[in-house]
Amino acid sequence: MKMFKDGLGEGSTFAGCHPAVNLIFFLFTIGITMFSMSPVFLSATLVFSWLYSILLNGKKAIKSNFLVTLPIVVIMAVINTFFTHNGATVLFYVNNSRITLEALLYGLAAAVLLSSIIVWFSCFNVVMTSDKLIYIFGKAAPVLGLTLSMIFRFIPLLKARFREISMGQRCMGRHVTGGFMAKLRQVTKEVSILISWSLEAAIETSDSMEARGYGLPGRTSFHLFKMTPTDKVLLVGTGISGIIAAAGCALGKTSIYYYPKVVFGQWDMLTVITFAAYLVLLAIPMVTDILGENKWQQYRLEI
Amino acid sequence: MATIQVRNLSFTYPTATVRALEDVSFTVNQSDFVVLCGKSGCGKSTLLRHLKKNLIPYGQFEGEVLYNGQEIADMEDRVNAAEIGFVQQNPDNQIVTDKVWHELAFGLESLGLDNKTIKRRVAEMASFFDIQTWFRKSVSELSGGQKQLLNLASIMVMQPKVLILDEPTSQLDPIAASEFLKTIYRINRDLGTTIIISEHRLEELFTMADKVMVMDKGRLIAYDEPWNIGNFLAGESAADRHPMFYGMPAVMKIYSHCRAAGVPRYIREGREMSPLTIRDGRLWLESFLGDDTGESGCMPEHGAEQSGEEIIRIKDLWFKYNKESGDVLRGLNLSVKKGELFCLLGGNGVGKSTTLKAISGAVVPQHGSIVVDGMKVKKENFKELFNKRLAMLPQNPQALFTEITVEEELLEALYYEKISDEEKIDKIEKTLEMMEITHLRKSHPYDLSGGEQQRLALGKILLLDPKILLLDEPTKGLDPFFKITLGGILKKLTTSGVTIFMVSHDVEFCAEYGDRCAMFFDGDVVSEGTPKEFFAGNSFYTTSANRIVRRWFPEGITWEEVAQWTEQTAMKEG
Repeated sequence: MKMFKDGLGEGSTFAGCHPAVNLIFFLFTIGITMFSMSPVFLSATLVFSWLYSILLNGKKAIKSNFLVTLPIVVIMAVINTFFTHNGATVLFYVNNSRITLEALLYGLAAAVLLSSIIVWFSCFNVVMTSDKLIYIFGKAAPVLGLTLSMIFRFIPLLKARFREISMGQRCMGRHVTGGFMAKLRQVTKEVSILISWSLEAAIETSDSMEARGYGLPGRTSFHLFKMTPTDKVLLVGTGISGIIAAAGCALGKTSIYYYPKVVFGQWDMLTVITFAAYLVLLAIPMVTDILGENKWQQYRLEI
Repeated sequence: MATIQVRNLSFTYPTATVRALEDVSFTVNQSDFVVLCGKSGCGKSTLLRHLKKNLIPYGQFEGEVLYNGQEIADMEDRVNAAEIGFVQQNPDNQIVTDKVWHELAFGLESLGLDNKTIKRRVAEMASFFDIQTWFRKSVSELSGGQKQLLNLASIMVMQPKVLILDEPTSQLDPIAASEFLKTIYRINRDLGTTIIISEHRLEELFTMADKVMVMDKGRLIAYDEPWNIGNFLAGESAADRHPMFYGMPAVMKIYSHCRAAGVPRYIREGREMSPLTIRDGRLWLESFLGDDTGESGCMPEHGAEQSGEEIIRIKDLWFKYNKESGDVLRGLNLSVKKGELFCLLGGNGVGKSTTLKAISGAVVPQHGSIVVDGMKVKKENFKELFNKRLAMLPQNPQALFTEITVEEELLEALYYEKISDEEKIDKIEKTLEMMEITHLRKSHPYDLSGGEQQRLALGKILLLDPKILLLDEPTKGLDPFFKITLGGILKKLTTSGVTIFMVSHDVEFCAEYGDRCAMFFDGDVVSEGTPKEFFAGNSFYTTSANRIVRRWFPEGITWEEVAQWTEQTAMKEG
């Protein structure tokens, strides 16, 4: 499909939802993933995390996901196999140490878990823009939100200043000549210019903050987000499916025993409900995005 | 009704021996538009800072500063924050948050308003300032002019009754500055906000102001209507002129010159007025020159190509920042001769600064070549190129400062020089003198005013002894009096064989001191010539003196030329 090619990015329907919806989704998803070692649940989260990241970032996500996943799988599987000697099924011995099938399987499961969490975070990065983070922190305490906002303001500012300093120094004939020590001296100098310039500028910033009443009691945190009916539906949906899945997780329905022998738990009613709720939870952003995208396509066709 | 009353205010900074403010008294009425002018370092900022509670400087204080009859220092914080707004010089340093909408809301968040009220007030201001189109942008994407407008708007959302601005346009280019001042004027007229603004650029403000204050060495020496101030600054004779005279609109300078020489005066509605605008100036000239356009036929002929050794040669230069963006430079060809002051003029974002970056090797063009002093600009040549050949003054002088005193700052420039200490000291003394900063030698570079920092940075660069000097907007933030000094310094340098390549918006400065001017547009030079050919050939992009007089005397570029010509012609006709 076309939308998978370039990715929907920040403009996706789910990313356009109220931050509360996004936050609750990621809290439940990443939280439950962290405590689920059952192969069924692991494969669900792996598949959905990959699909969603490709939907958001396009084809290039496949490459970066592989680059993250493969080393983790290899390293964790190898490390766990060679350093954990629990487990009943011995494959072979190395220097009188038992290498067991269970340890290998546990290592693989842990690797899948970790890499899915990383992929989920890559989606988190796209969906949770700085504005949303500021809103969430600002809800907790207005000062926290402001601090975060100031950080996002200062990173590009400092970068731009540093570029200007480097250029100024270069045009003085510096930074061009010399070996390692001379270069080190030059970089130290540039950083020191950046620091004194920024500190000096910060005095003006604090003047400007105080002039606009910063420090008065009862500060509020402004935002532009609106809770629409769709947001409310999604919030309830995410909440209910998340709570059910989390409850199942707390009851141990999402995990299995690996040591001393792999024991797949019984597929009782509770596990089925937990798994169903989990699938619903994981699918929510993608379904929202695809429905949203179809709506757009129809809208375009109608014009 | 008096909004602000200052009575016998005197102020001394700690450890300073001279008073920064000396017995200043004045009253500002409600909805007045007051302009404060004076040389840099005369106490303008100190005075303005006394009008805002949290900015009052620390030091010895005498007298009274009242807002609606109440001492400003005793005002309640909430009232102080909301009712008196203060805009500072630097657009970047005043911005606190990362998004435009958040910055607008900052003051209202401080006051503890709820989301709905903030949204409404922000929406009102965004519409008033016409910033809806960049409402959701990051502040780092904005231009300097937009940033300063944002600073202004984020103060206006708090609905202040008094707005104080301390050289708000000194970091902006003339077009953005003019836009900004027009917005200030609109705030004054439409919302009735009292405005107190300090500025060097008086061209436009004189037509807007109700009253003008002139400060000199901490004293308030005049406080009157603009046209009276014109006469006051002009003094009795040329020697008697106040330094701020040079910052006045060209038309007022010409008028006061001619008035002293006995040229017919400008009479409107039965009384003498000083012409403030270009229209006024034309009407005044028309009153005694008539509609006669006899002389205008003789456009200056293009002089023979200036001969001289070519020192910068740019050939067919093409450049774009990345694959998706459009070309910034489009087949640029340019040549600069040895020992000339070459001015590159043009609007914002046409590629002037990129050209400068290309010459200094900061960007690598995709096509074409640049040869500086017989050497190609490329990475392998940088070492040779920046060794006594090429030097550049960055737009922000702070980018160069590393030391804790002015002297040491200059010494740092000579760090890699292999000369004796005595010679170094001698060179530094000479630089201090040339830049007129000897009295500041022990000060910290950051304690200097913007104009003084600019001079220090230029001095530092000149100590590197370059053959070619690249300047990026060197007149930004300078007071008109020092601009004359700077012009003198640049002239002295070119006479001694240094080539200066300058990128500027400052039409008046380039007209007066440039040897050759070129107009940059859409990635290439579209016209070039000596200031006379160049400006006489343009119709709009020219000095205001030229715009007044071009019907009669198209070669008149600087106000002095025009003033002299007017005097002579009037004498002949009279």
